[in-house]
Amino acid sequence: MTVQLVWLGLGIYVVISLIVAYLSRSGKQTNMTSYFLGDRKLGGFVSALSYSATTYSAFMLVGLAGLTYAGGVGALGFELIYLMGVSLVAFFGPRFWIVGKKYGYVTPSEMLGDRYQSKTVAFIVSLASCLFLIPYSAVQLTGVGLLFSGMTNGEISFVTGVIIATALAIIFSYVAGIRSVAWTDSLQALFMIVSSTAIVMLLIYQMGGFSGFFQSLENEHPQSLQVPGNGVFSFPAFLGMTIPWFFFALSNPQVSQRLYMPASMTTLRKMLIGFLVFGFIYTLVAVIWGYSAVILYPGLESSDLATPTLLASGVIPPVLSMIVMIGIMAAAISTIDSILLTLSSLFARDIYGNLNKNATDEAQLKVGKFVIPVIAILAFLFALLQLDLISVLSIASSAGLLVIVPSIIGTFFWKRGSAQGVIWSVVGGGLVVIILEVLKYTTKFLFMGLASGIWGIITSTVLFVVISLMTKAPEKKAEEFLSYVRTELKHHIGDQS
Amino acid sequence: MLKSEKKWALIIFLVILLAYILPYTVFTDVTKWYGSFFVWVILTSIVIVLNIIMTKGWGK
Repeated sequence: MTVQLVWLGLGIYVVISLIVAYLSRSGKQTNMTSYFLGDRKLGGFVSALSYSATTYSAFMLVGLAGLTYAGGVGALGFELIYLMGVSLVAFFGPRFWIVGKKYGYVTPSEMLGDRYQSKTVAFIVSLASCLFLIPYSAVQLTGVGLLFSGMTNGEISFVTGVIIATALAIIFSYVAGIRSVAWTDSLQALFMIVSSTAIVMLLIYQMGGFSGFFQSLENEHPQSLQVPGNGVFSFPAFLGMTIPWFFFALSNPQVSQRLYMPASMTTLRKMLIGFLVFGFIYTLVAVIWGYSAVILYPGLESSDLATPTLLASGVIPPVLSMIVMIGIMAAAISTIDSILLTLSSLFARDIYGNLNKNATDEAQLKVGKFVIPVIAILAFLFALLQLDLISVLSIASSAGLLVIVPSIIGTFFWKRGSAQGVIWSVVGGGLVVIILEVLKYTTKFLFMGLASGIWGIITSTVLFVVISLMTKAPEKKAEEFLSYVRTELKHHIGDQS
Repeated sequence: MLKSEKKWALIIFLVILLAYILPYTVFTDVTKWYGSFFVWVILTSIVIVLNIIMTKGWGK
């Protein structure tokens, strides 16, 4: 692919997105709810597309395609089990939405802090989110850098790629907060799905249609159609990968915060269903993309090369390769800008807001806006360390965030949950994940053959339950909170039981 | 959890359980398109349809 072509594609992408970002500015964004939640008035279509763009990152067409290349159909199962897990939104979505409106929550950690009546809870949960999500963003930036340098044979350097991605993420999140993020996300989501589907269709066509495609796999790579297949997807490995991702919709604040934003329950429904359909198609596309590399280029040195090899091959016309490349970049940026915005809101609301008792909403907004580029630069510096292994690291972030899940479930379903329970659960579970991840990275050690996320969720659940039972729960708040949810829920989800 | 929610939660949970069990048991030796690939696609389609039906009354 020529450098001129890449610059041209990039230029068109940047200009259109900047126009969309600029046009998205509406109303006065002078308070936290407006800037970070779009005044809780987001429409269904934009919510669904933006949720999709935020969730699906460069991981899909690079990492998931690579996983398919390395281990076959297990990659499909892994990603689809995640998608099925988004059904959690059908249960938690209305609850988040109801309490968000009633108590004015801007961040999920603020909700936990209020429900468990402890500012320390909000503080620690926010800190844990930052700890795991900044590396996750960095990995996305690294992905963009590698993509650019790989596709242009280094003519566009890794650092240039990372700088471009960082700058765009800052601009998209800064211009109008969630409004510019949601609108540019929507544009990028449409671009991601249309371009990748069209190109995968072309590949399938070239391989003799679906029957030719599957025949090649069945005859030449039969293992790629079964699990455990060649062993990459042994059952313990599969469990270790799927469990953290299954709870992604709850554990990752950049998506759980979205549950506060829809204008109505009907909009929330559109967001959920729209996302499920989007995710289903995009997953199939990414896996078929990986399979195409299996058929066309078996025996690559590393599965990370599957996507770059396909893009650089003559099988796909250069212009289409460039479009897929921009699509992958858009997937990365639309994830990073949402994370940036969410982390800034967490910092402003739950860290700064709790340290400074007199911080007004206006002051929090100022701090939030200031922090956006600061977090971006942190992620940028992290990215320059060139940590590859894209899929491994993003899964590690999910494992880390998983430790917040027991406390979130407790928020809505367990009156006895206490602040001490949350604190021990998040800190203890988080430490277990970090220690196990470090051991795995340095010595390939897997405790009893299971991934860190499994141990993280077990530790955090046990600590949450045991410590909560040993300490005092905020009974009055729990009673009031839960009975309000129950009454409103019956009204909103059309259930009279 | 409301009564109607419990029913849906149980059904979805069972489908997801199948998504863990079937590919690693019944279909572990099937190296065809109608093996695990198809199973996962079908089970996901079922879950999406369940979500659509379950949320039908939202906001009404």
